[in-house]
Amino acid sequence: MSNVQQDVFEIIAKQAKIDIATIKTESTLKDLGVASLDAIEVIFDIEEHFNINLPNEDTDFDAGTVGHLIEAVERQLAQKSGNS
Amino acid sequence: MRRIVITGMGAICALGHNATDIWQAMTEGRSGIGPIGHFDTSSLRTPPIAAEIHDFEPRAYIDEARLPFLDPLSQYALVAANEAVRQSGLAFRNERASRTAVVVGVGSAGEETREGLYQKLYGEHAGRFHPLGIVRIMSNAPASQISMAHGITGPTFVVASACASSNHAIAQAALMIRAGLVDNAIVGGTEACITLGIFRAWEAMRVLAPDACRPFSINRRGLVLGEGSAMFVLETLESAQARGATILAELAGVGMSADAGDIAAPSDIGAAAAMTAALQDAGMQPGEFDYINAHGTGTAANDCTETRAIHSVFGEHARRLAISSTKPMHGHALGAGGALELVATLGALRTGIVPPTLNYLGPDPACDLDYVPHEARAMPVRAALSNSFAFGGLNAVVAVRQAP
Repeated sequence: MSNVQQDVFEIIAKQAKIDIATIKTESTLKDLGVASLDAIEVIFDIEEHFNINLPNEDTDFDAGTVGHLIEAVERQLAQKSGNS
Repeated sequence: MRRIVITGMGAICALGHNATDIWQAMTEGRSGIGPIGHFDTSSLRTPPIAAEIHDFEPRAYIDEARLPFLDPLSQYALVAANEAVRQSGLAFRNERASRTAVVVGVGSAGEETREGLYQKLYGEHAGRFHPLGIVRIMSNAPASQISMAHGITGPTFVVASACASSNHAIAQAALMIRAGLVDNAIVGGTEACITLGIFRAWEAMRVLAPDACRPFSINRRGLVLGEGSAMFVLETLESAQARGATILAELAGVGMSADAGDIAAPSDIGAAAAMTAALQDAGMQPGEFDYINAHGTGTAANDCTETRAIHSVFGEHARRLAISSTKPMHGHALGAGGALELVATLGALRTGIVPPTLNYLGPDPACDLDYVPHEARAMPVRAALSNSFAFGGLNAVVAVRQAP
């Protein structure tokens, strides 16, 4: 498991108050019971943790999976290191 | 029970500085949404668009000596209230002064003033605050300023229920008139929320549209903020008839509910409860209504939830209703939303023209009603609902019908 994946899983587990073992990359936040403002908070926590901005297009809470979210984070991190 | 009618209407928003111009823009399907000019937008992630009021010269409407006391929140309220009072022909002399209420819906407060002071405090570490900060910021200022401008000495206060504030305000005034506490009221809402701080807070909730406000449409992606005010003069039918006033419409009923659920996510049960309460209060059946001015924010969650609620209240008649959201024209004006939307609703009743829902790209299977896309529609409107559903799960609905 990549560090990004591990960190994202931990953030979701903490916010959703669920066992980290239940999170799969193919789960959606909705599947994990993270809805409404809780999902917005998860995104905020991820942004704060990695110091990145995730555009709204990358945060589809109904259809987007945790895997998509991790890819989006990796994309933003790559862009950030490319810029620095 | 005392019947209540509306005899005056005034408004200001991105579509115009008076109710006549605003209604004209609504029938033409014009949008007041455009690039933000009120503040430096360089720190925003979202495209900087809003329905801002432009070319507004407060001195043309308000005594210069009074202006230092007024945040735009109160300026807008005074412009709208003055127009409404002028149209009603009422003067608040003698006993009428104490038999009139002022109830104003406000979602936030004097935010431009507040942010200006905080910029000085936290940004510039300035040692001196302007002494009029409090009287400009306080959320009750618009109600106070209206009472002062017109010499109204009856019950005067502000109602706050976020995006339902205007409709809750209208309900409070109506109930006071029915109870015999007052005979007239100035009611409505005001909001001046296009500030950097407020915009950033909404942006962080990820509910602002990146392109356009598209209520009930496929691929809708959020709301666009707006600002402004609309005010109305309410009085008893008896009083309006006795003085030969022009009656714009009857305020037939009000309905209120709380979801007691999520602080942000809307509930079809709560929304339906408020609509049902308005119908019951008006003593009217679903089949008597022709139009609903929807809350229709353009967020994924609101529009399908509101559609389900309309189905559950109106049953088979839901498909015969014209439903539109005017927010793509005047923006989501939060505490002023319900009042600006009542301008649209009264316009539809009075002229038989239903204002359109702009920016509609095509049907969403979860939004399967007639949303009057793109262009206004000529049709008789006997009675209409105006829906407002707020964050916090607070809902308020107003039912109006043709003047008796």
